[in-house]
Amino acid sequence: MADADEDAVRGTTVEATQIETDLSDETQDFRLLNHLNFLTDTSSSGLPRRGEKDFEPNPTEFQADVLSASRQAMHNALAHPRLHNPKNQVIAIYAPEGPPPPPAVTPGQDTGKPVARGASVSPDACVYVPTPKGQHFKSMGQADRKGVIWLLPEEALYLLERGSLDIRWPTSITGGIGEEGCEEELSIPMSLQAAYACLIGRGGLTLERFTVYSSLKRIGYAISRAPGWNDSAKAEDEDRPDAYTQPLKRGAGLAGILGSIFNWINDPKSTSSTAAGPVIGYGIHRSYADIYKKLALIPWYDPTLAPQRDPLNTTAPYRVILHVYKPNTSIKKSALPPPDFRIAVISTREATTIPTLPQLSALLESTPLDPPQGEKMERNMYMRLRHGYRNVILAVVDQGVTSFLRIADVAFGKERLYEGVNGPTGPKKGGNFKKKKKR
Amino acid sequence: MESTPTLPIPISYVSGRYLLFSVDAVTYLRREHNICGVLIGTLPQIPQQNVFLGLPLELMPEEARVLVDKDVACIVDEAKAHDGMRSLLEEDRRQYLRDLESQGQLAMRILADRKDQQREQSLKEIDEKKAKGLAAKAAKAAKAAADAQVAPESSPAPTEKEEPNSIFAGEDGTSSLSRTTGISTPAPQQALGITPTTSYPPLPHPVSASSQYLPKPEVPLSYPLFAHLHSRGYFLSPGLRFGCQYVAYPGDPLRFHSHFVVVSAEWDQEMDLMDIVNGGRLGTGVKKGFLLGGPQKRRDEVESEADRVDTVRTFSIEWAGM
Repeated sequence: MADADEDAVRGTTVEATQIETDLSDETQDFRLLNHLNFLTDTSSSGLPRRGEKDFEPNPTEFQADVLSASRQAMHNALAHPRLHNPKNQVIAIYAPEGPPPPPAVTPGQDTGKPVARGASVSPDACVYVPTPKGQHFKSMGQADRKGVIWLLPEEALYLLERGSLDIRWPTSITGGIGEEGCEEELSIPMSLQAAYACLIGRGGLTLERFTVYSSLKRIGYAISRAPGWNDSAKAEDEDRPDAYTQPLKRGAGLAGILGSIFNWINDPKSTSSTAAGPVIGYGIHRSYADIYKKLALIPWYDPTLAPQRDPLNTTAPYRVILHVYKPNTSIKKSALPPPDFRIAVISTREATTIPTLPQLSALLESTPLDPPQGEKMERNMYMRLRHGYRNVILAVVDQGVTSFLRIADVAFGKERLYEGVNGPTGPKKGGNFKKKKKR
Repeated sequence: MESTPTLPIPISYVSGRYLLFSVDAVTYLRREHNICGVLIGTLPQIPQQNVFLGLPLELMPEEARVLVDKDVACIVDEAKAHDGMRSLLEEDRRQYLRDLESQGQLAMRILADRKDQQREQSLKEIDEKKAKGLAAKAAKAAKAAADAQVAPESSPAPTEKEEPNSIFAGEDGTSSLSRTTGISTPAPQQALGITPTTSYPPLPHPVSASSQYLPKPEVPLSYPLFAHLHSRGYFLSPGLRFGCQYVAYPGDPLRFHSHFVVVSAEWDQEMDLMDIVNGGRLGTGVKKGFLLGGPQKRRDEVESEADRVDTVRTFSIEWAGM
């Protein structure tokens, strides 16, 4: 190691103070996993505690031993096999050609099963489960007319990776084994490597998208593809220009500013203009509110008046591609409720600069208005500011390391401090508020 | 664990990214070549968390390039390699399935053994508890008797207490044995299904076909600084989350804190002074040095990236007045 000599001189005890951090921020000490390991012991459970890290390498055997123990533990953890108990094994089959096109209306077929249900299977689906069982299919997959569940590539890969699905190569690729053998019994299981090779890159699934998908899925969120998933999908209304759509109401554009100035000049209460006298004009002022209103000279941006944009009218990667639902929402695959979060996935190696204001505002305009609501928000101005009027989550993936950033459209101008009963009346209340908030 | 996989190690090129699937390759590269990568997969044993992740391991293009330049690894187009599934010989296929089957049976046996052990253990515990309860009762009775017989007799009570205990234990030992043998005769015929991690086998090892290697990975302008620090024994990982390009660790990140937040620049690149101030404050704020560096030659001045690596100079900036 580079500092070995230096360290030998200095001695071995260099203490590093441990800063409390998000566990997932750091490289984990896999020794902690040892007690969860398959080949040693399965009885104990509970979250392991993090070990102490050293400041730098030194030539002691002790340190070498600890390090090799850590590495061994990591090796063991990574070598854990994916096993399927025959009792609850779910077998799926890879279909590189995708689902068969929905047949033209075929009455008489499929008696006994609800025919209309799930008639539309996404053309991107490429893995099917003939006999689905288990709770995973409640929020994943689409059933076709025959009751066969079709999985999108990210769903199939996620399930395989967590050891809940056994995907088989189709006999069309590997060839059947013996004529008498039934397909499911003798087909070759797909390895994790094969699944990545075949499924990543299918139907717009990049590795970054999959990383974000599976990291949210692991901690319980339900996820569906947003209409913007397909990069080339454009808004259907072609004659609409690429720029802003027609605003719902006249915003605080140039005309709006002119209008407000006009109003201000014409204000019957005012007796003078700025050029000649004080900003608020001469005369008797009976309330502070009036005075403050007159002092509000700077035009501000009202997000509620911003134009609504078609989600498809944005450019990748700054477009919403995933809809995310909190774990406790009950989800019907056929009728998805409005999502709790909208996520855009950005790879740092493709987009090396931070997004420009036009990119960000286009992205925000493509999300629905979500004004701060609820009792807490009513009471607390800082929560209102934090929440904003529109919001979107950027998942920034830097070579496998994901950061989630929540971007919100904040309206400072809408918070009239001079009117509010809840405004800061006493001394400063702090409120070190950030526009970008890391989740 | 101290095994060396066959070199060069095939790095899977999947949809523009560099991945490793073999656990032996991952540990080997970490141990011998200071390459950590980022684990991005789900661990099947604890799938519902994001703290510990599993295979595959994603490598930065820089990491893949360093390994390829050292002839330790080669890049394999995984999608193309898996077309080989179409041309598997029937014999290999059968052999592979047989291997999987026997592995599955082995796993089943291990699991069954473990279950037996656990059952025995818990039965023993229950029996012990029972025995203790009985012993306590006996002791109480003895004590009551002793109390009735007044003080001098109280000392032999403990020995008396031990006796029934041992008798009970012996009895229960045999009984529990018979119980376990009675129930546990698992059918060893049934094998667990296995999802293998890598595809080699059944596919032939790609190293044998060197003509199919992909060209060296394309690397960003910061590559020389990466290669320079790596050659000095640093472990580097992607650093955007910490506000830099790379985080540099003096040893394996498993055991050591990082020392530098690293940002690369071209030699004659104009920099905003504020960026240096920011970097310095950021680094100092997290008890690390802000390391700024880059090669003194531009790409068009040299023949290969390797020549740039030799000209790298580095500067460490620390915020002193805090």
